[in-house]
Amino acid sequence: MNHTVMVGDMKIGVDGDMVVTHALGSCLGLVVFDPAVKVGGLLHAMLPLSSINPEKARANPAMFVDTGVPLLFNALYEKGAVKSRLVVKAAGCGNPMGKNEVFKIGERNYTVLKKLLWKNNILLEAEDVGGMVSRTIHFDVSSGQVVLSSGGVKQPL
Amino acid sequence: MRTDEITRTITTFPGMPGAALKLLALIDDPDVTVQQIEGVLRQDPGLTGNLLKLANSAYFGFPAKVGSVRQAVVLLGLKRLVQMVIATCTSAVMDRAVPGYDLPGGELWRHSLAVSVAAEGLVRELRLEGADEIFTAALLHDVGKLILGRFVQADYAQIERALAQGLPFETAEAIALGTNHAEIGAEVLTNWSLPARIVNAVRWHHSPEKSATPDIVLDVVHVANLLCRMIGIGMGRDGLHQQPSPEVTRRLGVTSPHLEKVASQTLQWANELSAALAG
Repeated sequence: MNHTVMVGDMKIGVDGDMVVTHALGSCLGLVVFDPAVKVGGLLHAMLPLSSINPEKARANPAMFVDTGVPLLFNALYEKGAVKSRLVVKAAGCGNPMGKNEVFKIGERNYTVLKKLLWKNNILLEAEDVGGMVSRTIHFDVSSGQVVLSSGGVKQPL
Repeated sequence: MRTDEITRTITTFPGMPGAALKLLALIDDPDVTVQQIEGVLRQDPGLTGNLLKLANSAYFGFPAKVGSVRQAVVLLGLKRLVQMVIATCTSAVMDRAVPGYDLPGGELWRHSLAVSVAAEGLVRELRLEGADEIFTAALLHDVGKLILGRFVQADYAQIERALAQGLPFETAEAIALGTNHAEIGAEVLTNWSLPARIVNAVRWHHSPEKSATPDIVLDVVHVANLLCRMIGIGMGRDGLHQQPSPEVTRRLGVTSPHLEKVASQTLQWANELSAALAG
C-alpha cells in the first residue's frame, strides 16, 4: 500500500508499503525503521516547538518537531518496534538564501530534533539537511530503503 | 533574448472577466449603492452563487447564513466582495499545471491561496494598518509564472548555471530570459487594470527594496510568499533559492514567533478558503 504524508502529518507502514512525502522545504522529514519487524514511519513536521500554538499541537501534534517525534516513536513501539533496533534518518530542514535568522525555521527544526534524539540516546544513521532545495522522500518499508529526490535527481539516503 | 516573444505572449493572456472589471471600477466611487453592485452581479448568476458560497465559508466565519448579494455586501464590505470576485474569476486559469517551475496542476492556485491567507494572518499578527489590498496582491503575485513557465523550461540549463553561482531564482530568470516572473506578472495585472499598489507589490515581491516607495502590502507579500514556500506550498524547481529582505524584516518588525504562529494556521485557512472556491 502507498501512504502519502502531508505537511504536519505522520504515517506508519508495514512490510510491502511505500511511504512518501513531497516538497520538504524548511520542514523536517524523519524516517524511523525497525528492520527486524519491518515496520517504519515517516513524519513531516513543519515547525520546531508546539509552544507557538498549543491548541494546534493538541489537535495535530505531527505539525511540530517536539510533539511529532515522540508521536512517531510511540506509534512504532505500539507496532512492536524496539528502540535498540531503530534506524533513524532525517531530511529537509532547508532555509532560504542569506543570513536572516528570522527565516531559519529549517535550522530550528533540525536543532530541536538533535536535542530530542540526544536526550534519548538515539543516533541519526543518515541525514540530508539544509540548503535551498525541495526534497521528496520515498521510504520502502519492505527493505528500509530511503530514496530522496530533488530537482529530478534521485539518490539513496 | 526572448523578450519579444514573451511580450507577445502577455498580450494573448486571458483578460479579467467583465464583472470583475466593472466592480473594480465601482470600488473607487464613493456614492456606489448596493443596487449597482447587485446589478453587475445579476449579469453573472454563476458568479453570484460562488460569491455566496465564499461568504459562507469557514474562513470568513460569519455565524449567520449569508443568503443574498445584499447581505454579502453589508457583511463583507465592497472591498472584500471585489477580492472574492477576483479570486473566483482567476481560479480556473491559476489552477493549471506550470511547466518550467515543475508545479503540478492545482499547485500554483494552492500556493496563491496560502500566500493570501498567510499575508492576512501576518497583517493581523503584526497589527498593520492600511493593507486593504493585501489579499489580491498576494493572490496574484505569481501570475507571471503562467506565462514564463515554458520559457523557463526551454532555457533551464542557463538558469541552473546561474543558480549554481548562488544567485536567487528571479535573477537567474532575468539572466536567461531578460525578464522574471514578477515583472511579467505586473504587466499582466496592468493589462487587467488592477490598482497600482497591487501591480507594484507583484512587480517587486522578490526584491522589495527596489520599489520606488516602501509599502507594507509589498513587504507582507514578500514575507508570506517565502513562508509558504518554506512550508512546502508551491515550492517547485525554484526551491528556496530566494533571499528574505533584511530591510523588510526590519520595517515590519517581523520575528520568528510571528512567522511560526502564522505558519501553524496557514494550512487550515488555505483549506477552508480552497473548499469554498472549489467547483
